[in-house]
Amino acid sequence: MSARRKVLLKVIILGDSGVGKTSLMNQYVNKKFTSQYKATIGADFLTKEVMVDDRLVTMQIWDTAGQERFQSLGVAFYRGADCCVLVYDVTNANTFKTLDSWRDEFLIQASPRDPENFPFVVIGNKIDLENRQVPARRAQNWCESKNNIPYYETSAKEAVNVDQAFQKIARDALAKENDDIYKPQVASVPDIRLDSNTKQKSGKCC
Amino acid sequence: MMALPADPDPITASEDYAQFRSTIPQRKVVVDRSSMTWVLYDAGPRHIKSPLVCLPPVCGSADVFFKQLMHLSAKGYRVISVEYPVYWSVDEFCEGFLKLIDHLELTKIHILGASLGAFVAQKMAEKTEKSPRVASIFICNGFIDTTAFKQTGSAKAFWLMPAFMLKRQILVNLPSEKLEMDVANSIDFMVERLDILSKDQLASRLTMNCAANYVEPQRLKDVYITIMDVFDESALSTRCKEEMYKCYPDAKRAHLKTGGNFPYLSRSDEVNTHLEIHLLPFQGTRYCVKDPELVDPEEIKAARGEIELPTT
Repeated sequence: MSARRKVLLKVIILGDSGVGKTSLMNQYVNKKFTSQYKATIGADFLTKEVMVDDRLVTMQIWDTAGQERFQSLGVAFYRGADCCVLVYDVTNANTFKTLDSWRDEFLIQASPRDPENFPFVVIGNKIDLENRQVPARRAQNWCESKNNIPYYETSAKEAVNVDQAFQKIARDALAKENDDIYKPQVASVPDIRLDSNTKQKSGKCC
Repeated sequence: MMALPADPDPITASEDYAQFRSTIPQRKVVVDRSSMTWVLYDAGPRHIKSPLVCLPPVCGSADVFFKQLMHLSAKGYRVISVEYPVYWSVDEFCEGFLKLIDHLELTKIHILGASLGAFVAQKMAEKTEKSPRVASIFICNGFIDTTAFKQTGSAKAFWLMPAFMLKRQILVNLPSEKLEMDVANSIDFMVERLDILSKDQLASRLTMNCAANYVEPQRLKDVYITIMDVFDESALSTRCKEEMYKCYPDAKRAHLKTGGNFPYLSRSDEVNTHLEIHLLPFQGTRYCVKDPELVDPEEIKAARGEIELPTT
């Protein structure tokens, strides 16, 4: 595999509605923040090119609908994800409790080969607010219990720790990028080889 | 060398394809001279006058977009896929295409253009700049300048070449290493479509594809654009793709990790998701593609930012 090969990293952001998924993405990619709340419909994505250890990497960051009602787009975009970011709001304990189900949902839908070692990152957002409900220690404990998920506390509003969190995401995703984190699409590998070989020949002689 | 298998390729033989052929009728429309027949599939609600129109690449027929026709029409979108009659120049093509849009009583259209289809879509938007008929373009493996193919010289001679030489022009661009099954199947499907095309159809499309011509992107500034490309092997060079990004700096970039030359066949679910995202901003406007009856009114309110943050 040549070092010059272009790399696309697919990152999925999940979490309850209103925790700041869109704001985190916008702060990271566009350096913008608005306090006006706008529910995300279906899903949306932004791309950003970053350097990770001398490699140019294109990050495709998927922002998803937190509200079930707006999840009409399905989950086809989970496929091939390189990293999943779980976001909760530090001022809202309920959004922390649902992290388990977001993680499970992702693992079921994306079905990586080795769910235990799939790269997740947890972000506790809105640390600029005063009425904090979830202590950092509690979040860290949860992350440790899930095979040491890296944990960041951010403020999308004040751009605190956002770049650092996404740099970690990019680095972890890139580290796993060369491992086959997904099962092959067809059950038996020799079949694919055989098939694509004959395909190739038939293609060439017409 | 092996003989061509007698059985149809796996996609043509699939249940999905059979279902497509049995549910969406093929139409033929003549808009100017009698020899100019547009073949099309029109799926979804007819009262939508701003549908998604799919334009195939050189080797494709209208059915290459059957997975978009089926999936999106089931969700309430109107999707039309067309197959070009023999036009020998992009200007002639655009005139004919405009007549087709008028004939179908469409207002402004959204175009999914693949390769040559993306090129003529951009030219169409350019030519209707003064009275716009193109609301948005979803460019799939597209280009903005035909010199990318380094064939401008031979383009003048395509009309007198025998069919096998014309086919060779296309086949040499297809990858020759081992491929993933979905990608290999999509190539097989396209190669079979290539066999059905007449010599004139093929020669005229190659002429449009290769005769010196380019798009002036500044004339498309009011057109909403998504650029889709693949990060694995395709006929387009990296330079060609980068040129595209530069020309449309504000376009959404829908990169796929893999998918080859024909991702609408090999990665249809991802492509369909990207198409829905591309069309989302038009929901609730005059140029919507999805039946407004089928859109959750809450979604339109949410899109306008009129929904309060739910309190938990």
